Amino acid sequence: MIEIKNVTKKYGDKVALNDVSFTVPDGEIFAFIGHNGAGKTTLIKAIVGIHDFDNGEILINGKSIKENPVSCKSEIAFVPDNPELYENMKAIDFIDFICDMYEVSAEVRDKNIKRYAKLFEIENNLNDPISSMSHGMKQKIALISALAHDPKVLIMDEPFVGLDPKAVFDVKEVMNEMVKEGKIIFFSTHILDVAEKLCSKVAIIKNGKLVKTGSMKAIKGDKSLEKVFLELEG
Amino acid sequence: MKKIMTLIKVSLNHDMNIFRINTKKQSKLKKILLPLLLVAYLMFLMGIYSYKLMEMLVPLHLEFAVLTFFGIAVSFITLLEGIYKSGSLLFNSKDDNLLFSLPIKKRTILFIKVFKFYVFELLYNSLFLAPAMIVYAYFVNPSWTYYLSSVVALLLLPIVPIVLSVIIGFITTYLSSKVKGKSVFQTLISLGFVFLVMYISFNSDGFVSNIAAKAASYNEMITKIYYPLGAYITLVTDFNVITLLIYILSHIALYILVLLLLSTLYFRINSSIKGVLVNHKNKAYHIKSTSKLKAFIKKELNRFFTTPVFMVNAGFGLILFVLASIMAAVRFDALIKIVLENDPTFDLEKIRPAFSIIAFGLVAFTSFMTSITSSMISLEGSSFNLLKSLPIKPIKIVMYKVISALAIMLPCILLGDILLFVKFRLDIISIILILIASFILPFLSELIGIMINLKYPKMDASTDTEAVKQSMSSLVSTFSGMGILGMSALVFYLIARTGTNTNIILTLFLLFYGIITILLYALLNKKCDKMFNNIIV
Repeated sequence: MIEIKNVTKKYGDKVALNDVSFTVPDGEIFAFIGHNGAGKTTLIKAIVGIHDFDNGEILINGKSIKENPVSCKSEIAFVPDNPELYENMKAIDFIDFICDMYEVSAEVRDKNIKRYAKLFEIENNLNDPISSMSHGMKQKIALISALAHDPKVLIMDEPFVGLDPKAVFDVKEVMNEMVKEGKIIFFSTHILDVAEKLCSKVAIIKNGKLVKTGSMKAIKGDKSLEKVFLELEG
Repeated sequence: MKKIMTLIKVSLNHDMNIFRINTKKQSKLKKILLPLLLVAYLMFLMGIYSYKLMEMLVPLHLEFAVLTFFGIAVSFITLLEGIYKSGSLLFNSKDDNLLFSLPIKKRTILFIKVFKFYVFELLYNSLFLAPAMIVYAYFVNPSWTYYLSSVVALLLLPIVPIVLSVIIGFITTYLSSKVKGKSVFQTLISLGFVFLVMYISFNSDGFVSNIAAKAASYNEMITKIYYPLGAYITLVTDFNVITLLIYILSHIALYILVLLLLSTLYFRINSSIKGVLVNHKNKAYHIKSTSKLKAFIKKELNRFFTTPVFMVNAGFGLILFVLASIMAAVRFDALIKIVLENDPTFDLEKIRPAFSIIAFGLVAFTSFMTSITSSMISLEGSSFNLLKSLPIKPIKIVMYKVISALAIMLPCILLGDILLFVKFRLDIISIILILIASFILPFLSELIGIMINLKYPKMDASTDTEAVKQSMSSLVSTFSGMGILGMSALVFYLIARTGTNTNIILTLFLLFYGIITILLYALLNKKCDKMFNNIIV
């Protein structure tokens, strides 16, 4: 479970996150939506321990990201919106590097890398330098390295950007499989149709303040998520 | 013209603002205090050297030789540095895609990049040259024409070395774009050019003697050897408006002409270097698991060996150390033979303790002038967030980087040590002391480097060169190394005057460096988390 309690983050005078609180339960796909600059990436970076926050608390399976960052991070996999990979490495070396950092056993990594490389149809490119790859291929490498260590919590910032339709479908399938195993998927997106169909829970953020959170059904009612979002945006 | 000015303004604001530091919660004064102190210290040191030199030159009526000496030094350093920096500065910048998509001429882009290169070298040269110019003015009390000529010379002296290094940068980048291991190839060619320039400089006695014999005056001699400096000295001693105009126009013409010629190739080379040669036949991949430390060292070595400017910057001192050791080993017997021919009473054993000082000095010089870690954080760029998201404590990540740097440095230093030990036939205590120094000093140097980079990271560098050579971290690190070496030499001199045994002095130095290392490690351990997390990408 991810518990976000009264999180506030300021950049100088600008309040990026204003007393944000909500909970992401186990076994749920949770969509986090909002306009550009609403504070989505700021909160995601705070959850995964990349950015500090001024007030509040974030708990990952009961542990504070501030107090126990290493323990929390070992349960999380993070896929950023713009894949931040080591361009000078070969793809397989990069994935191996991430697995080494998460102390993934040879058996598990072998199974997972082969499985996801096949799923994303990138087996024949794992020996290529990352610098030679397209944005979509880099995104696939970021996804494989995130999934290779069997995370309990998968956090993604705009995961579908740059992926081809087949890969988008595959990622959705993987997400569904993971939640069946009781894992948590939390991601930000601007593709509201996908969020509506895929997610059981949703949070909407506007100007750093949480404006709605709850089950997808309760939030959208008879309307589409897009309509609800646009109404909230005013 | 308006477009060019806007581009220069934006580019300089982004790239040359070495005072922009990606940390938070620090006052601006606190951030720039240390660099300002170091700059002041360096300029003061250069002023002292100039003053001492001037005291010797005044009785000989060769006051302007102080300007020649510092002018040659800065031109030579600019050329050497420029050779390995230019390839990275001109090609493969992160903003290339943006710049080439703009409705501006390609030669304008080249002009802006070379201009940025020039501005940085101008600032760097001023630190060394300006104190000498001030000392000259203090002793000679010249007329206003001296100040005018000096300002013009300060502005013009970087041009010729930069133009030469830009040409070499074009050649190395063009050649390396044709091969698969382009980074290593580019590094090797750059190093080849650097050593070629050094070889020519140190073996030009005949050429210089020939010119000196034919020259009617000192000015004429310098002008024939190196016009930019000779013309300046002529202006200082015998000011003439025509000479000044020719001096200015010749430099501007050279700058524009070379850039116009090179601009026809610029886009083509830039496009070809962007491609990555991929061997699509080799599709088999191997999954290897290893420890965190080994994986990290592998990653850092990979970064090192695929970044030419990083490799040459760190490798230059290390290779020089090994070469100096080889030269010492090869030439040692011949040197002793010459000394014995001139002085048959010469007793080698009497000066043997000095050999351990030389070996120790070489290790200290190489260690403190080679700071690999001072750019390791900056080179992470946006990937730094990836490091932050890993389940590893910041202190471990930082120490992994220090260990990776040592993995590069230690083999070279130990190889040099062995050569020196064998040839100098040092006593066992000296050998042990120098071996200990070979571990402690590089560790201390890299510890200082990583702390400086944590304090002054440059995470938004457009090129690797900016991170490695044109950042606050690299400047502070270089000046710190110089400062430590200068202080150590002074303290050594003061102790040695008392007649203390060499090995005792070395032991005292090692104890001092050891204590500093422990204290710095404790400080890093305490502050690392905060410094690491304060870096925002």
